Amino acid sequence: MERPGYAELTCVSNFSFLTGASHPHELAERAAGLGYRALAITDACSVAGIPRAWAALKDSPVQLITGSHFELDDAPPEACIPRFVLLARTRRGYGQLCQLITTGRRRAEKGQYQLFFRDIETHTLDDCLCLWNPPAPAEASADQALACGEWLLRLFEHRLWLAATRTLESGEEQKLSRIRWLADQLRCPITATGDVHMHSRERQPLQDVLTALHHHTTVEHAGHCLFQNAERYLRPLPVIQRLFPDAWLEQSLKIADQCTFEPGSLRYEYPPDLVPEGETPAGYLKRLTREGERRRYPGGTPLTVQALIRKELELISEMEYEHYFLTIHDIVAFARNRGILCQGRGSAANSAVCYCLGITEVNPARVELLFERFISKDRNEPPDIDVDFEHERREEVIQYIYQRYSRERAALAATVIRYRPRSAIRDVGKALGFDPAQVEQLLEGIDWRDKSTNWRQQILDKRLTRNPRVADQFFTLVNTLLGFPRHLSQHVGGFVISAGPLAELVPVENAAMADRTVIQWDKDDLESLGLMKVDVLALGMLSAIRKALALISERKGEPFRMQDIPEEDPATYAMLQTGDSIGVFQVESRAQINMLPRLKPETYYDLVIEVAIVRPGPIQGDMVHPYLRRKHGLEPVSYPNDAIRKVLERTLGVPIFQEQVIKLAMVAAGFSAGEADQLRRAMAAWKSHGDLTPFREKLISGMLERGHDADFAERLYQQICGFGGYGFPESHAASFALLVYVSAWIKRHHPAAFYCALLNSQPMGFYSPSQLVQDAKRHQVSVLPMDVNHSQWDHTLEGPDQHLRLGLRLVQGLSSAGAQRLCEQRPAGGYRSAGELRKLAGLNQRDMEMLAGANAMPAFATNRHQAYWQLLDHEQPTELFAAEAPEDYQPDHCEQLPEPSEGQNVLADYASLGLSLQRHPLALLREQGHLKFCHTAEELKSTRAGVPVQIAGLVTGRQRPGSASGVTFVTLEDETGNVNVVVWLETARRQRKPLLTARLLHVKGVLEREGDIVHVMAGKLSDLSHLIQKLPVSSRDFH
Amino acid sequence: MIWLYLHFPHLLLDHIRRAREDSGALVIVDGSGQTVLQACPEARELGVQVGMRLKTAITLAPELAIVQADDQQQARILEGQARWLYRYAAHVVPRPPNGLLAEVGSLQRLYGGLPAVWQTVEQALDEHQLTAWSGLGHTPLAARLIARTGKGECNADRDHILRTLGQLPLQVAEFDERTCTRLQRLGLDRLQQVFDLPPAELARRLSPETLARVQKILGSRPDPQPDWQPPHQFRQQADFAREIEQTQGLLFPLQRILSDLEDDLCWRQQETDTLFLTLQHRHEEPTRLRIRTSGPEHRAEAFLNLIRLRLERHPLRAPVLSLQLSVKRFLGREAPTERDLLGETQDLNEAWHTLMSRLQARLGESALSQLAPQADHRPERAWSAASLARKHQPTETTGLPRRPLWLLQGPQPLTSPPQAWFAGPERISGGWWDGQRVLRDYYIAQLDSGQLAWVFRDTQGGWYIHGWFG
Repeated sequence: MERPGYAELTCVSNFSFLTGASHPHELAERAAGLGYRALAITDACSVAGIPRAWAALKDSPVQLITGSHFELDDAPPEACIPRFVLLARTRRGYGQLCQLITTGRRRAEKGQYQLFFRDIETHTLDDCLCLWNPPAPAEASADQALACGEWLLRLFEHRLWLAATRTLESGEEQKLSRIRWLADQLRCPITATGDVHMHSRERQPLQDVLTALHHHTTVEHAGHCLFQNAERYLRPLPVIQRLFPDAWLEQSLKIADQCTFEPGSLRYEYPPDLVPEGETPAGYLKRLTREGERRRYPGGTPLTVQALIRKELELISEMEYEHYFLTIHDIVAFARNRGILCQGRGSAANSAVCYCLGITEVNPARVELLFERFISKDRNEPPDIDVDFEHERREEVIQYIYQRYSRERAALAATVIRYRPRSAIRDVGKALGFDPAQVEQLLEGIDWRDKSTNWRQQILDKRLTRNPRVADQFFTLVNTLLGFPRHLSQHVGGFVISAGPLAELVPVENAAMADRTVIQWDKDDLESLGLMKVDVLALGMLSAIRKALALISERKGEPFRMQDIPEEDPATYAMLQTGDSIGVFQVESRAQINMLPRLKPETYYDLVIEVAIVRPGPIQGDMVHPYLRRKHGLEPVSYPNDAIRKVLERTLGVPIFQEQVIKLAMVAAGFSAGEADQLRRAMAAWKSHGDLTPFREKLISGMLERGHDADFAERLYQQICGFGGYGFPESHAASFALLVYVSAWIKRHHPAAFYCALLNSQPMGFYSPSQLVQDAKRHQVSVLPMDVNHSQWDHTLEGPDQHLRLGLRLVQGLSSAGAQRLCEQRPAGGYRSAGELRKLAGLNQRDMEMLAGANAMPAFATNRHQAYWQLLDHEQPTELFAAEAPEDYQPDHCEQLPEPSEGQNVLADYASLGLSLQRHPLALLREQGHLKFCHTAEELKSTRAGVPVQIAGLVTGRQRPGSASGVTFVTLEDETGNVNVVVWLETARRQRKPLLTARLLHVKGVLEREGDIVHVMAGKLSDLSHLIQKLPVSSRDFH
Repeated sequence: MIWLYLHFPHLLLDHIRRAREDSGALVIVDGSGQTVLQACPEARELGVQVGMRLKTAITLAPELAIVQADDQQQARILEGQARWLYRYAAHVVPRPPNGLLAEVGSLQRLYGGLPAVWQTVEQALDEHQLTAWSGLGHTPLAARLIARTGKGECNADRDHILRTLGQLPLQVAEFDERTCTRLQRLGLDRLQQVFDLPPAELARRLSPETLARVQKILGSRPDPQPDWQPPHQFRQQADFAREIEQTQGLLFPLQRILSDLEDDLCWRQQETDTLFLTLQHRHEEPTRLRIRTSGPEHRAEAFLNLIRLRLERHPLRAPVLSLQLSVKRFLGREAPTERDLLGETQDLNEAWHTLMSRLQARLGESALSQLAPQADHRPERAWSAASLARKHQPTETTGLPRRPLWLLQGPQPLTSPPQAWFAGPERISGGWWDGQRVLRDYYIAQLDSGQLAWVFRDTQGGWYIHGWFG
């Protein structure tokens, strides 16, 4: 006789943090392999694992059931605490489940949940099935158990089952007879369940580790907290059939049959509020686009653009994406009304429609960018538009979204924080009882870039354990734990907005930040379920650009907007070609500054490439040099065939962008659209846990079959690996390049406004205020010192010559309220004494001292020492102050106090402001004869290549890019500029101490040059930090 | 009055180094393990500096031995130093965390002049293998500041001291942070410049406390010092940067401690008959040894022999992190000993302890143990015989699984199939973490003999008896 099949109805994944020991997809695949009829994923008060299980089971005969496990915080009268699983029967039941989870999660702290029996009574759960896991006789009396069962039966009549497990643990027989008794008393069926915690028995050690961590103890001391055996896995059908009676198995199938809900049926229901009554979404979008057209093209829309718009609108309406565009338009329109600068990017953002709607400033007439490339008609994949807003004002936009759609309908997407090597080693070490201090020492000692590190040996060396078997286990555990989710955090700005209550679409829980809520799914989950999100991101450069435009408008006496900036200005490109790009968006890093003179951008599209080329993808794929050679005509541009020409023509036959690589996989290696899509997803996930090797074989053999050479194929694969996690698509580069151009143009033509705006938008970008001020001075911007009688809170431009006056915001420790009063109360003639300043501006002693330390009182103190002496008089000024004559403001002078030396002033400036307008510390040291034989950065520019040189400078950056095989780049700053020092691995190993610790570094080396780019190849390094005492030098290290 | 100040710049480091036979880079780090507080010469040679982040230090010296600073421990070590200094000077004041102050003016006559006092102290420091910077001053603060900057000389001339003080940089004067910042902002960097400011202005513009401190340094304001008495027990500890695995390795540091004990006992004019030796391990409970002499004793050599014998008999259970030797029982040199031994107290608890210790002394520490349940699924691990001295964490005793009362020492093969099966299978799998992995299916079965047995089958399919039910 044929035995019945089986549906596993209670199974937690690793989204029940520190409980489940398998990924949802592992469980799904195993269930499919074993021939289960259905699998329910029932994480603790969560459906976070559902999308991943669904993605794995989409094309398999195994039915996925959505459910969740609950343990209540209190018990119904005279009953024991109920523990049960709820399964969603229909879409409606799924909504009920989500609502209950939301209640439990929103009530508790981040990561916890709290539900009471009253919640179960008051929530509508009539479309959910309940599987009750009754207590064992040792846990509760028969009366309590029966009361609990009766309570559940009242709520879930005909929808309640008793869940029986056969985990072969002690006391199981007693528990089973209790279950049979309860079933008899309640007249309620029993179903077989597995209480599954892992997909395979091999995960028991990891499951034990998680349990120990959960209980804040070690495996050795976890004792009875650990499961008695490894039976909570997905067991083969014959085993299950041996352990359970047929009737129980049949019940599991019966339950599965009732659960018809399928996650794939979730559909995004757009908020209808955006479309005015009486209009269709398509009609409304068309109208808005038409209005935008008139604004963008006052002289009439060019014919090509008109055609483009028509085509795009057709595509949008065919895909029914109108609401998505309208939603973004609504947010962008709000920002524009508030004067918040924004810029869209991503697939679909750089379309003609988006240009007309004001979502992007990239003019389709100017660049040939095809919208169709960005929305794929074949794959039912939602368009993706990220909108960057000014970083200081993004919160306003977020608040607007909450207010427009209410908190019930808008929430942030989650980001799943996963185990990385450090955290995995730390936690496994903790569970195995290793000494935490020694684990830290081990972590510090590991060179993460050095792939040859023998971890096992290191562990044994460090004597974390003397048992080699434990060391082996340690690695297996660490490797398995890698990529496990640890907790949900909030996505940087991805909003999900829905028509009905969001909590019926996906559960909402608390984020760490007060007043922020996140949904239980991350962006990949949303994508796999085809749900849309709107990315609201923060970008510092937009703040700076808006401020610069305001300064320029003020000077011109008329509004000057982003679109007023002339296109393709040769002077701007000329500046960029020399690598003069400090402060310019995206191209200000050391690597970019070196690339600019090599790539020599002459057009907007060159900037698009510039932005995308200095990235791990093209570098690892070794695509940079071929591109440069072709760009400068040193190598012929050729294409293997026309299909490839179409893909690569814009980039001279060399793949640079992520889209091109994917497209190449299709045209050159014969990937189907679906396979290419999988490749794209694998690339996105590669950094954390993905695996690209399955694609390698297919890619390379596909390309060889089509007559491409093996070398090109291998390089393309390497590039795909390089893109992994850092993918940089053309659609984003196009938007960024626009901001590169805008910021470069401002720098070239309005330097004072440029630096002033950048300084007022700090912290942002690559460089410190000190570096920016020095660069400003090199660009003939005159910088005036801080002065309580002239400075505002922000930095300002003074007079027709646009002198940059330092603002009070630089003074470290000064309260902004105090500074505000200082500016508001400032008399027309300025403050006359420290006493008057204190009195009128109502400044406290701390603020006064901060101002004196900043040397901001030149009007009434000969130097900062005397200014300080005056402040230290604690007595309050007399009431008759206002009546006093100016003579009374004669400050008291102390003869015993020394005059500050120049060096002291520089030190004090750095301590108070982080920069000094006096001479650079290096200039002082040079004058004092400490830096004999050292070249300045300026002198190096005219030094021949190959010459041995000595240099010295403040260390402002240390970098060891992953793509540059062990080379360390050090940036040194002296009074004339920056010098790049290249330190090879061997040199670095021998001189770790000066390399890692020096703040002032002296380097003997050899000058190398490539065109205008100058490097010093380091030989001997010496630490001269003792010469600058406590000068605070901030270095950006190893970012 | 003339004050002597001893500043121990790296007390903890010296303390650990003198208990080590090998030398290697060693650092003391702060409690959070982030920053290097003290570094030995070998570490400094490799570029490790005080104040450096531990992370950086490890990249410079991968083999670095690391010890976390412990205030209590440091205070104990300092107290030990105060104890021996107390033998030379009547008025000793410990200045935690790392200084000692002593009045030496009155000793000049006793020792025959200041240089002799100075030399005596230096010699004692040398014997204790401690680095200390000494300083003399006409006020306690003057001595302290001079000592802490390493500018100490055997010269008690007031003008000389004032000149030295004036040259000291401002930072070492230990003004509170706020005052120090303020003085620096006024452009002052030497103490002399502060001394030169008009006193009234100093009090008004800085604070009265600042003026008071300046006056205490200069001696124009009294600075009374508390009185300190050494405690009535002996306790010393040796900490190891690397665990000690051999008995031999413990004897070296013990030797020094015992010779300190001998000095201490001699000075007290007392003897003892009981030493408590505690060995700390990383994972295991500490080993506590009580060493009893046959009669009152004070000689280091005698103690060492006893300890050596004891350690040879009881090999180390685990590597030792630190050892502590303490003496709580002091006997007068002449006092008759027998009376004390019986402990004539009515306290039953005390009597029980006396019984236990006598049994232990007779039979050996390991001969006595008590039973305790242990939280482990593996049956052979679910019970333990624990030593009496050990304090037990209470183990949950409700809901324990059904187990036979008589568990066999080890499983025995089951020779013939049982007559009847009563319960099972109960599957137990665990212990992967300590190499004692168990994977078994247990049953309760009646054997041919009619006995009710607890039997199991292992992964190889073999059948064993593991216990008997009553």
